[in-house]
Amino acid sequence: MNKSNVAFTTRRKITAIAVSFVAGAFGLTVVTTSTAQASSVTTIKLYNDKGAWDKYFTAVGNLAKKDIGVGVQPVGYTNEDTYDAIIDASFRTHSKPNVFTWHTGAQLQEIVSQKDVVSTSSIWREGIAKGDLTAGVEKYYTVGGRQYCVPLYVSYYVMYYNKNIFTKYHLSPPSTWSGLLQIAKTLKSHGVTPFYATDVLFSFLWFEQLLVGSNPTLYNNLEQGKASYLSPGVISVMKEWKTLIADGYFTNPAVTTAPQTLLKTGAVAMEPWGTWFTGNMKLVGAPPSSYGMFVIPPENTHLAKLPIIFETGPMCVPTGAPNMSADMSFLKWWTTPAPESYWASVTSDTGADPKAAAPSASIEAIDKYASSPKVQLINRYYEATPAPILNTALSEFGAFMVNPKGYMSDLKTIQAAAAQYWSSHSAS
Amino acid sequence: MQAEADRFELKAGGVRGPHLKSAGLSVPRSAHARRRLIRPFRASYRSKPQVTKPTATAGFIAPAVVVVVALMYLPFLYSVYISFTNYDGLGSPRWDGIANYVQLFHDPEMVDAIRNTAVWVVAGVVVPVALGLGLAILTYGIRHGGWYRLPFLLPYAMSGAGVAVIWGFILQPGGALGDVLKTLGLPGSGTAWLSYWPDSTIAMVIASAWQATGVNCLLFVVGLQAVPVAVLEAAEIDGARAFTKLWRVTLPLLRPMTIVVVGLAIVAALKTFDIVWVMTQGGPGYTSTTLATAMYSQTFVADSYGYGAAIAVLLTVVTGLASAVYLKQQVQVGGVKR
Repeated sequence: MNKSNVAFTTRRKITAIAVSFVAGAFGLTVVTTSTAQASSVTTIKLYNDKGAWDKYFTAVGNLAKKDIGVGVQPVGYTNEDTYDAIIDASFRTHSKPNVFTWHTGAQLQEIVSQKDVVSTSSIWREGIAKGDLTAGVEKYYTVGGRQYCVPLYVSYYVMYYNKNIFTKYHLSPPSTWSGLLQIAKTLKSHGVTPFYATDVLFSFLWFEQLLVGSNPTLYNNLEQGKASYLSPGVISVMKEWKTLIADGYFTNPAVTTAPQTLLKTGAVAMEPWGTWFTGNMKLVGAPPSSYGMFVIPPENTHLAKLPIIFETGPMCVPTGAPNMSADMSFLKWWTTPAPESYWASVTSDTGADPKAAAPSASIEAIDKYASSPKVQLINRYYEATPAPILNTALSEFGAFMVNPKGYMSDLKTIQAAAAQYWSSHSAS
Repeated sequence: MQAEADRFELKAGGVRGPHLKSAGLSVPRSAHARRRLIRPFRASYRSKPQVTKPTATAGFIAPAVVVVVALMYLPFLYSVYISFTNYDGLGSPRWDGIANYVQLFHDPEMVDAIRNTAVWVVAGVVVPVALGLGLAILTYGIRHGGWYRLPFLLPYAMSGAGVAVIWGFILQPGGALGDVLKTLGLPGSGTAWLSYWPDSTIAMVIASAWQATGVNCLLFVVGLQAVPVAVLEAAEIDGARAFTKLWRVTLPLLRPMTIVVVGLAIVAALKTFDIVWVMTQGGPGYTSTTLATAMYSQTFVADSYGYGAAIAVLLTVVTGLASAVYLKQQVQVGGVKR
């Protein structure tokens, strides 16, 4: 044995002793944890793109600690693009989130096809059996016959309106599309801008509303690559939108003032938003008595089921999650009434669990309407449209609002993007 | 002092001949001999052989090399690789040949992006540099000149996104500008400045100039401080008036600083992103998009990482070429072309 071998052996001994010491200490820690099992808490990291809601996640985590012994450490992002890129990248690493928020539609299908997310079929089966989850929402969490993720929230798209303006001009929420247009006409004649519109991000709002209200089947086919943006039904919707713009029914889409401020101050009378918008109105201090909401009546009066656009944000567990058992227990626990009621109260929104207590009478009414068997849920355009098509469509809708005459050119551009996407992705 | 410094002024390829001659030295003919002239400094290092061992040298520079390679070269090479794939951020990239580069020539967004980037390079350089220069000349050497310049410098402390938000409020229909025009009884109070091209791009260039003018002014003031007073006095004695002094003396002597300011402005204009993204997101449609916003939008919004990487490579090549051509025109190693 030469000198270097002796040194090596000595180093190995020292290392072995050190490792034993550390392992012993670790074992002691494990024992301590086990001994204190009743009071020990597993903390999971919940990655989300709702950075402003960190305090809500923390509060829900406190509730989960008490109920199932799983605490929550929120890791919130405020930029969705950054967040999506980080989650996408995490799938290829060993550093994965315990739980993460995501999107339904094409983006959920993409991560399922890559086997990046764990199935939650058993949670859905049990949740539906107990009445905590609904079959209407389940459809949007199902890919290839299996369910993935659970709903963090469910919001329904309704028309928010300024009650003071409606009272001033003796108006009441309409029950038909023609009634809605009559209100718009009345408001316009009094110099009040009826509807809110924007050319940034939410430029799809009126396209989806007009298409869903006139032909929800075409809308669904469009989102699944089974219909063209050059279909007569889509062209007709763009023409109608163009007419409404020409009538002066919309705010200038370039206005950057927050929509809640516009509604509160009466700069606009009505805005189509998800029920989460109640939280935005609270943020600007609008008293609940100053605004209301009503279901947007569909233009087509012959529909078998009344469509209502909804938005739901999934909460998922990635394949190879750091603590699968705790992560899945948290998801399961989330679908029960207690956390859903709490979540509905802090966000002033509807809960994904039908048993969850509604934060207000108006939200309860919307919730009840959406749960009716006469109503069909339609996934919001933003989630339903694959990202490359969505990116083009948002730009083109924005361009259309500035230059409505160019609607055919806009539709052709969107269709080109759709054709390119669906050529490499099978229509679902 | 200046003569002493000039005597050792270096130029690419060796030491300037005339100065050597004036110092009573002859100019070596061969490059090797010329290089030897500037070696005395190295000789002192050679007297410490332990430092000049190749392994020791490598050890000293290795950390920096590793950092630069890992954080700059490898990501760039990976981006180049991704640009030849149809990667969408999930799974593994699939080789797609030059499809993304072919698409660059057929994409209507790219037409707008290249047009707007060109506008940014011209207007985004001329406006803030001209304003900065004008401000520096007007305020330099006068009493309390620093206080006059200060307000123009303050916006530079803000982020581009912050500037964009403020200008968004000013320029939106019914915004601050509209209110001012309305109060003064002028037309245009309801104009949507950011909705139509070229108004949108011009408005954003002005917003950008508002932020960049101050720092350009500061750099020009530093340049003005280096202008020898004796030269200006000599010009005055020769009967030069204010404008002649400015045109014939000050501006030529400011040329080194102007080259720096313009060079920085060109690169900044080519990679314009924050102001455009926050104010219009490149819209409506693609009317105000730039190469940088198109790259971001394709990569992170449309999840077309491959195509986004191709735009990034194009932007890198354009920036590199523009910088190289500009610097080659204006600068020589060790000095400025005169």
